[in-house]
Amino acid sequence: MNEMNAVALILAGGASPKLSVLTDVRTEAAIPFGGKYRIIDFVLSNCVNSDIYNVAVLTQYRPRSLNEHIGAGRPWDLDRTTGGIHLLQPYLKRPGEAIRWQKGTADAVRFHLDFLEEQKEDLVLILGGDHVYKMDYRALLQFHVDTRADVTIAVHSVPHYEAYRYGIVVTDEEGQITHFQEKPKRPESTLASMGIYVFNRSFLVDWLSGPGKRQKDFGREVIPALVEAGKRLFAYPFFGYWTDIGTVQAYWEANMGLLGEIPPLNMDDPEWVIHTRSEERPPVLLGENAVIEGSLLCDGAQVEGTVIRSVISPGVRIAPGAVVRDSVVLTDAEIRAGAVLDKVIVDKEAVIGEEARVGMDDEQNAANRELPTVLNTGLTLIGKKARVPAGAVLGRNVVVRPYTSERRFHSKEVPSGSTIGVRP
Amino acid sequence: MRVVAMILAGGAGTRLTVLSEQRAKPAVPFAGRYRIIDFTLSNTVNSGIYTVGILTQYLPRSLIEHIGIGRPWDLDRSRGGVHILQPYQGRERQFWYRGTADAIYQNLNFIRDQRADTVLILSGDHIYKMDYRPMLQLHKEHNADLTIAVMRVPLEETHRFGILTVDEEGRVLEFTEKPQTPDKGNLANMGIYVFKAQVLEERLNELAETFPDLDFGKHVIPHMVERQDRVYTYPFDGYWVDVGTIASYWQTSMELLEPDSPLDLYNRDWVIHTRSYERPAAKIGPQARVIRSMICNGAVIRGTVERSILSPGVYVSPGAVVRESVVMNNTWIGPGAVLDRVIVDKWVVIGPGAQVGWGEDWDVPNKQQPDKLNTGITVVGKGAHIPPNIRVGRNVLIASGVDEEAFEPFGDTVPSGETVEGVR
Repeated sequence: MNEMNAVALILAGGASPKLSVLTDVRTEAAIPFGGKYRIIDFVLSNCVNSDIYNVAVLTQYRPRSLNEHIGAGRPWDLDRTTGGIHLLQPYLKRPGEAIRWQKGTADAVRFHLDFLEEQKEDLVLILGGDHVYKMDYRALLQFHVDTRADVTIAVHSVPHYEAYRYGIVVTDEEGQITHFQEKPKRPESTLASMGIYVFNRSFLVDWLSGPGKRQKDFGREVIPALVEAGKRLFAYPFFGYWTDIGTVQAYWEANMGLLGEIPPLNMDDPEWVIHTRSEERPPVLLGENAVIEGSLLCDGAQVEGTVIRSVISPGVRIAPGAVVRDSVVLTDAEIRAGAVLDKVIVDKEAVIGEEARVGMDDEQNAANRELPTVLNTGLTLIGKKARVPAGAVLGRNVVVRPYTSERRFHSKEVPSGSTIGVRP
Repeated sequence: MRVVAMILAGGAGTRLTVLSEQRAKPAVPFAGRYRIIDFTLSNTVNSGIYTVGILTQYLPRSLIEHIGIGRPWDLDRSRGGVHILQPYQGRERQFWYRGTADAIYQNLNFIRDQRADTVLILSGDHIYKMDYRPMLQLHKEHNADLTIAVMRVPLEETHRFGILTVDEEGRVLEFTEKPQTPDKGNLANMGIYVFKAQVLEERLNELAETFPDLDFGKHVIPHMVERQDRVYTYPFDGYWVDVGTIASYWQTSMELLEPDSPLDLYNRDWVIHTRSYERPAAKIGPQARVIRSMICNGAVIRGTVERSILSPGVYVSPGAVVRESVVMNNTWIGPGAVLDRVIVDKWVVIGPGAQVGWGEDWDVPNKQQPDKLNTGITVVGKGAHIPPNIRVGRNVLIASGVDEEAFEPFGDTVPSGETVEGVR
């Protein structure tokens, strides 16, 4: 197969409100992960490692940090004369038009159908920008060609009790999809759609501008309608590590999953390098009294305190006497002397004051009152550039919104389930 | 002012023994993730100078690969940028670079082509952070023909430097290369020169016939002082070090671990840029103990590391101990192995249970190179394989690429001061 035979569309416009402070300031695809990466790095690296060098990224919600991260695509060798990276943002199609935001995955692709029509590749690979996995798309594309499918959906086996969160496919013996259920209450199988679709390009263009022109979402509308219409849809099974960072708990678990001696997701693989844009930083510096156990530390971090089972991003400073336990600390955050963090996600450039206690057990362990169905697993979140005052004591499921200043803390005691600050 | 920087990077650095056996001194790794030349190159671009010639001669391959098209330093440019200037064969004359000034003399046409009016001549061998702009400014204010950066050195060390005697304006009255008696003051030449391009060309043309091994310290500066050219000094009082010996390389490395290291790599206002492979965060295992050390991305530590510098991809097995050592890229340290005051080059394998840097007889110098290895540091060359359970003493030199068989004549102990060489 010609290496340029597929154009990739990465959907990176979602607002993902379930990720709380992490997506208050950026789109989900741009959330930092594994210390030095951003989530979209996995999909972008999968593309170039699979020889796909024509890649479009569809943005809508808070795209600035994503745009800056991708830039001209240099870290992925996507700064090219032919193909390369295309950032597709919403735009006015005629003067004076009312703003029309894209209302779903298929709606976003339809919005940029003119781009798709101009491409030369026979196949379109549609990807989510918010999944963490390593996958060689060449095998998927080959499967699509071999089965002469109209659409191929990559699927992953999930536990039965999780199936309700996914689009579930039912296939015949050849792998042809006979039935598709979006987020079913009573799933008929445990093969979940990974949100990775291969379409024949002309088929997709024709469908989205013809029979499916009112359909907004691939999972909810397009795929079920195509199955209904008797088109050839096939499921491509993927057996590797794959996770959809949809919630704060999933984000924390995926980061913690990297700490095992043999992690399910090996990122130190010279055969499948995950590329990212990184700032030039000196090595990690560990002080005389540093205690580090079972953690990841990135270049530029300076640690004089204690770090246990945590992921520490570039440039983080952890002062003497500070303790960081089961936490994720993002770039250039500062943990001052004597502060203690337990199961906390600290966003970039946040400051935890001296002797502060964040993630303290109390009797209630109450869910967050603003997001009770999502923030109820005991994780406390400190937003970007927020400042927790010295000596403050924060419980669990607490949210400190981005840019919150110390003055917003009316009391040193912040009980579990509280939210401090306002959404930016 | 149109400035071109010329970096002399042809030095063999023979006193660094095996570290410079396969690479020029400027390409010797330093501080975990850098190479020595990164400091000079970063100083150049951080000073706003984007036209750079690098003069290579001795084993240039790893240096040339490191520099590439100059991307990490933003020197991949349409105008200016980085140029590797290697010795070349002409119709009439064909010579190696026979001296520092001869190297520049053979590249005068490059300087002319850049239409530079000011030439900044630098050495690729030194570790320091310096803004060249104030020096260029002073050069301009003095309307100088040549400005020499100088620093104060202890009187007992003046015999190692070119020593300048100046008037109160900083104009050079006398220049003595490596004075035998300490009566010339202690202003030492740092090997950093700013020349008026036209004067440089004239002087080199005048001297080249007489002195084939044309050298700035030996010939050019004395000549210019004698004929009363406008030669001035620029005083520098920051941190500057020439890591010319194994002892100073080790000492300078250990100084990076001091709480207030004079070479502040963590200052974001003067970033030292380098070329690095994309590697994930450093991983510190649950059994690990790491204090007062620098650790790079891609390192995996499952043993004990104290007061050491570990480059990307170094693997420290459980039970291994690394103490006061410098370990370069992708070296594997087996379970239970102990390294004490060792400099280990890249891709070395330290067998399980091996003890390298063993015993208290620090002062037994290396028999073959007593002038180079006499402070108790043992050095392991690139790609050497050290057999399991062997003891290796102090001031031992293990040549690059030796296999386990090379150790057989020594039995279970390589005594201090020995050299282990393979079959060539």
